[in-house]
Amino acid sequence: MIDLLLLFKGFGTVLSGYNGVALLLGSFFGIIIGAIPGLTATMGIALLVPFTFGMTPITGIVMLLGIYTGAIYGGGIASILIKTPGTPAAMATTYDGYPMAQKGLAGKAIGIATISSGVGGTFTAVCLAFFAPILANFALRFSAPEYFALAVFGLSVTITLSGRSPVKGFISGTLGLLVAMVGLDPMGGFQRFTFGRSELTGGLSFVPMLIGLFALSEGFRQVEIIFSAPKVNVVIRNILPRLSDLKSCLSAYIRACPIGLIVGITPAIGADTSAFVSYAETKRSSKHPEKFGTGVPEGVAAAQCGENASTGGDVLPMITLGIPGDAATAVLMGALTIHNLQPGPMLFKNQPEVVHEIFAGMILANITFVVLGLIFARFFAQVINLDRKYLTPVIFICCMVGSYAINNVFYDLVTCVVCGFIGYLMIRYDFPVAPMVLAQILGGMMESNFRRALVMSRGDPLIFLTRPITVTILVLATVTTIVAVRRQLQALRQAEAAAMAENVD
Amino acid sequence: MLQKSFNVLVCVLAVALLLPVSAKADFPERDITLVVPWSAGGGTDTLARTLVKNAKKYFGVNVNVVNRVGGTGVIGMNSVAKAKPDGYTVGVITFNLSTYRLLGQSDLSYRDFSLIALLNRSQACLSVQSKSEFKTLKEMVDYAKKNPGVVTVGHSGPAGAWHLAAAAIAQKHNLKFTFVPFDGAAPTRTALVGGHISVAATGMDEVLQFYQTKQVRILAANSPTRHPSFPDVPTMAEAGFPTENPIFDWRGLGAPKDTPPEIMKVLREGFKKAAEDPDYIALMDKLGLPRVYLDHQEFEGFLAGMEKSLEPTLEMVGLLKK
Repeated sequence: MIDLLLLFKGFGTVLSGYNGVALLLGSFFGIIIGAIPGLTATMGIALLVPFTFGMTPITGIVMLLGIYTGAIYGGGIASILIKTPGTPAAMATTYDGYPMAQKGLAGKAIGIATISSGVGGTFTAVCLAFFAPILANFALRFSAPEYFALAVFGLSVTITLSGRSPVKGFISGTLGLLVAMVGLDPMGGFQRFTFGRSELTGGLSFVPMLIGLFALSEGFRQVEIIFSAPKVNVVIRNILPRLSDLKSCLSAYIRACPIGLIVGITPAIGADTSAFVSYAETKRSSKHPEKFGTGVPEGVAAAQCGENASTGGDVLPMITLGIPGDAATAVLMGALTIHNLQPGPMLFKNQPEVVHEIFAGMILANITFVVLGLIFARFFAQVINLDRKYLTPVIFICCMVGSYAINNVFYDLVTCVVCGFIGYLMIRYDFPVAPMVLAQILGGMMESNFRRALVMSRGDPLIFLTRPITVTILVLATVTTIVAVRRQLQALRQAEAAAMAENVD
Repeated sequence: MLQKSFNVLVCVLAVALLLPVSAKADFPERDITLVVPWSAGGGTDTLARTLVKNAKKYFGVNVNVVNRVGGTGVIGMNSVAKAKPDGYTVGVITFNLSTYRLLGQSDLSYRDFSLIALLNRSQACLSVQSKSEFKTLKEMVDYAKKNPGVVTVGHSGPAGAWHLAAAAIAQKHNLKFTFVPFDGAAPTRTALVGGHISVAATGMDEVLQFYQTKQVRILAANSPTRHPSFPDVPTMAEAGFPTENPIFDWRGLGAPKDTPPEIMKVLREGFKKAAEDPDYIALMDKLGLPRVYLDHQEFEGFLAGMEKSLEPTLEMVGLLKK
């Protein structure tokens, strides 16, 4: 369990001297990096690691934690304002954030996003501080069959993300699974669907694909209406959400916080999956799921809260076991190593004060971006008033720069443009894009762990039915699917009945 | 008027003609780019960034790291091989370069580079959970001989250095393991500590912490000599199972093939000094990554030997592309 005295000492250290300034600066840069499409939290940390060389370890780490949490939150700002997720994690925020902004509620949407990110982030940071050693041991009990079950569960929520047509959602998801197969076979090392191109051996680059599907496609769509769309002129006010607004978000928080924590602890998946699953779960359990996607505050709250709730979970196995929870924490781990703090079981034993300073830094970083976010939201929100004739080309430039910047490879631009066109066609013909992206994230995890589990059991499929954690997750996935399908069918029947009634009139 | 523009033209041409000459004379005049074919924050990236941290001292200019990621390293390494051979683009080259041709992934090999130096050569080790019934390598091998296919060996990815190192051991001593590929060293380690696999084949540095906390027991180091950070771990030969030409993971530096010799000289001398920088040495030791320094000729010999020992191993695991 936690040593409270050390934690309080940690708070003292983080707030004193340059550390507090570093945290503030890190958080500020993090928000900006996150808000710019194409610059991700992972890149933000990687870019700024060299600047921390000259600092004391804790100053540097506190700054990087500020960047990390700030960037994960900041991605939502772009999602709300221009429907282009600033970071992959902020995709789910576009669903309700953008419609809210279009209704003239950009300020309120950013306010709710800020508070929700803060709630989720602080929740997991506190969990991290209190339960790190216990939860780390839990992570050790997870192996291939459990990861496979988790991926299945993750995919089961795609039905809820499918919008009006489950069949189209299914097609989109299958497309995602197909794309996930491109590259080296994760078990055998054979090349699949690479068509002899060495650029494809590592699979399709995820970020360019994502920017294409979500952002560039939206750019194409906006070109259609570039001259006809009415000019928006919104007065930004009410950034600070009212208490009643937050009350309606409570049900979202109750779901998103634990989902984020669990998804975070699971290696290989992070904020993006967490945001999607939180959004889908909140929608599924809502009293008015049909309103999701039209600009409801709960939608923004679920996505943002889930997104930031994964940060503590991602950091946890990194600090305690040396297993990074996602790409961003992998870079963070590299930075710690450079500062002579090798994450892993030894760190807890040898330098408990540093570990508690990191915990304190994590909690304070989450509070810092909330304060900064609420102060600066007014300025960010001005973007919405820009003329589309200027905004749309800027979005195109951001897409191209962002796709190239991630790996510095020209081929990624091709990936982005091709995916942008596919995404545009999908939007045009009412196919939901989210299931495809989620399936692409989870497809690789599902396949490799399914096959790995069978190798471990020497071909005996009973391995999926004899392990308690695996069975529990698989049952949960089945129930979620059945409930979601029944709901969809009901909605369909109601819509048909309504249409019949109209025809009679 | 015409005369004037003609004069300008002559001047421009003269400067243009002179430029390459002067560039060779005072290389480097501007910052050098070091391409890292793996993503930011990983082991290779950390090594590269620390190596060039104080580059200004040794080159008079900065060396900037650019991560060019994709295609299991092919893209980044290929971009260096195909870059303008003026010395301003150099790259980190890694183990995968030894396998591309054998796996049929790309025609790229060390022959497409002017080699600068080998900086790191890591050995594999075989480790078990501390609770494991296998106390020594001999016990594990005896068990594996009696029960073919029962011992599960986790490694960090098909055709990676550790998979092939373990496969070479199995081939040499006629063992049948069930290989379980993971995505990187971290999950392999977790699976071992969690008791999901019987043996892990990893880089030795990658299990350093778990060895120090006594969560894992290392059965043997796959190299001719003991590792200084693991004084009580026997080598394969000491444990009773000598393996010639063990497969190592490696990281080095290369420049485009036709880089002029006088520029190569500056690069080789500069990076040799950078590899002796105390900050770099401290980090490498901290990470447990064995530092070596092989000059370009020794490096070439090492790489030629590596391809020779990889070919039969890849054939055995069924990945060799003829």
